[in-house]
Amino acid sequence: MELTVTQENLTHALSAVGRVANTKTQLPILSNILLRTDGNRLLVAATNLEIAITQYIGAKISKPGAITIPARLMSEFISSLPKETVELKVVNDNLHIKCGTYTSIINGFIADEFPELPTINESSSIQYSIKVEDFKQAVSQTIITTSNDSTRPVLTGVYWHSHEGQLYLAATDGYRLSERRLVATKSDLSVIIPTQTLQEVLRNITEESNEVDILFDDTQVRFRINDAEIISHLIDGNFPDYRQLVPATSETTVTLNKSDFVRITKIAGLFARESGGSVTLTASSAKKSLSVHSIASQMGENTSDANADVTEDGQITLNSRYLSEALSVVDGETVEFSFSGKIAPCVLKSTDKNTNYYHIIMPLKS
Amino acid sequence: MHHALWQSVLGEIELTVPHATFTTWFKNTELVDQNDAGIIISVPNIFAKKQFEVKYNDLIKTTLAKNNITPKQINYIITTTNRNSRSNRETTINTSQQASTAADDLISGTTTTNTQTQTTPNAVGGLNPRYTFDNFIVGSSNDLAYTASRAVAANPGVKYNPIYLYGGVGLGKTHLMQAIGNEILRNDPKKKVTYISSETFVKEFLDYVRFKKKGFSDKYRDVDVLIVDDMQFIAGKEKTQEEFFHTFNHLHQNNKQIIISSDKPPKSIPTLTERLRSRFEMGMTIDIQLPDFETRCAILSIKASLSGVTLGQDTVEYLATNIKTNIRELEGALNRLLAYAEMRGVDPDITTAEGLLGNIRHSRPQHISSKQIIDRTAKHFQLEVSEICSEKRDKYIVVPRQIAMYLLRSELHLSFPKIANELGRKDHTTAIHSIEKIEKAIKLDFLIREQVASIREKLYA
Repeated sequence: MELTVTQENLTHALSAVGRVANTKTQLPILSNILLRTDGNRLLVAATNLEIAITQYIGAKISKPGAITIPARLMSEFISSLPKETVELKVVNDNLHIKCGTYTSIINGFIADEFPELPTINESSSIQYSIKVEDFKQAVSQTIITTSNDSTRPVLTGVYWHSHEGQLYLAATDGYRLSERRLVATKSDLSVIIPTQTLQEVLRNITEESNEVDILFDDTQVRFRINDAEIISHLIDGNFPDYRQLVPATSETTVTLNKSDFVRITKIAGLFARESGGSVTLTASSAKKSLSVHSIASQMGENTSDANADVTEDGQITLNSRYLSEALSVVDGETVEFSFSGKIAPCVLKSTDKNTNYYHIIMPLKS
Repeated sequence: MHHALWQSVLGEIELTVPHATFTTWFKNTELVDQNDAGIIISVPNIFAKKQFEVKYNDLIKTTLAKNNITPKQINYIITTTNRNSRSNRETTINTSQQASTAADDLISGTTTTNTQTQTTPNAVGGLNPRYTFDNFIVGSSNDLAYTASRAVAANPGVKYNPIYLYGGVGLGKTHLMQAIGNEILRNDPKKKVTYISSETFVKEFLDYVRFKKKGFSDKYRDVDVLIVDDMQFIAGKEKTQEEFFHTFNHLHQNNKQIIISSDKPPKSIPTLTERLRSRFEMGMTIDIQLPDFETRCAILSIKASLSGVTLGQDTVEYLATNIKTNIRELEGALNRLLAYAEMRGVDPDITTAEGLLGNIRHSRPQHISSKQIIDRTAKHFQLEVSEICSEKRDKYIVVPRQIAMYLLRSELHLSFPKIANELGRKDHTTAIHSIEKIEKAIKLDFLIREQVASIREKLYA
């Protein structure tokens, strides 16, 4: 293998895939990065056997070939180089790197030992092209409610599924739940994508990206953003039928400015650290206000009010962290916060009639 | 047979590839099917599948050939550990020309089927999807309960409504009830199934009363299946019982299935109001008994093989002999054994088990004395030991005396003359007669059965 690439392209590719290469693995070659020529491009790839990331970069190729080299050393070395062209040459399983006045030799390992990268059959799979902004928003809105409890694997990912002609994303950790409508779809889809995979996809989105191409088959999913490809397994299992949990009606509905709500929640949260984030929200229709109360027995207590439209008086106790996180992903300037008594889950969403997102939080037992 | 064949193939492969490669790729694979068309091998994930298809196909083929198997083709399917052999996802590789037609069939069958269409219950519905009928181990002690549960799951609300399961701790009541719920949801994901413990019911009811809320009465009335665990905790709470009574009536009238479990039969729950008791009894009341020796062995073997370990028959029997009262404890001992064996790198054989479980055994009085049995029995029936050992022939003394004899025989294996002697009888035929009588009664009379089980449980507690 012999080729020339720019330092910037190579650094970008190495940092995009390098995170996946893992040194704590039984199979030593998984801590390496695969470099392989592909036509007039260079393929840079790494995998941890759950997810594989591949990045293609333009290269001037004199001699095709492939090699694997330790990820960490390679990316740290390349990123320290000046922004010039980098010459890569394989001699006897070693990679000779030359850039300006810098030369080094890194001991590599033959590419044959590297795991085969999974491929997906494009003709038999379900495909979506989604605008980067929509994708980013939808994933960030749902990913925060995924669970990291490995004993319930189906909750450790985001549930992508079709329902009445629309593609929905949903996630729950048993205490909160979020659902986002994404695009219209004609396909029948029901898969769970691991949280880690989605996080990697988000990291691979750059400013130049316009669309994310997504391909599903029964066991795997592939995301393509510009020249990067991420292939991941899907979580096997059935996602709970969460729609039956969504409260159909609620006694108390509070409408208020989102930034006010964020502020009073944040302040109350300061006093709720001792009590595990527990804050009590009281809606009063007479005072036209939503008040948040929290007590830190050692330090003091706090009550903050915000102006709000209230349909009926009510009180509920929530974890302030969950509430803050929910508010950070709900869109719009005013939000609707509704609940029924202290036991039923509460719903948070934008007041926008066309809103495609809602967030549900289970109350704390007071 | 598949398993043995695959083990020998893996054994050979292990010698030819590096250790890390073997553990990464070949562990958790299994030969799931073998027929004229070819063989099917299950692998844990997409990466392994690709790796096998591209890199190890020839290796497997040659190793199989050494075992005199030359399949026309090898298919790899992805199977995750907890859903064995249920996956329909497969692709096909041709290893010979003439098999191509069969291969085409397989491929066409692959993309159309999808196992992910079922809906499973969730944390809020209260069901744990791991409890299914498939992994419930049936033995003579619980087959009636199992069969009835199956019938209920097939036709909820029609047959046996309510179904009332009772039995001691750790015998599988919760497993069965959850399995019914899971099965019903599997058949019809739209059904609303709610699983609660009676304690939750009581607590929620109290909350409603305390905050003067309305609407509690409706909370559980729009479900299709109501599962209530540990019903005995409702005892003594009269208002809650009344509320539950109304919920029960409402559901029953609308032919909604009700499933109840408890540690005692309805008759034996003190302070259960009469109208609830009669309602609990109007459906099907079934007890789950302690598993017999064979069932315990089966449970151990199955649990071990789920962890990918095959235990020797002597080890299984050793564990089953020493832990009698509780399936949970049985699983705990097995887990300890497996964890210990894996950590120390030794075989989970009988020597390891003996060394390890020594302290489990000593933690309880393995050698129960005959005096303890008589004491316990006397206490259970609120009699004096002297009364039991006396010459009196009143009925309220005779039955306990016979039960004591039965327990002396079944737990301590004492000889008949010795048993007679322990209870102040001269003639050993009295003991023979008594024990036979109780043995018969246990099969027919649930009251006797329950009393014996209860005394036995206390003895080992």
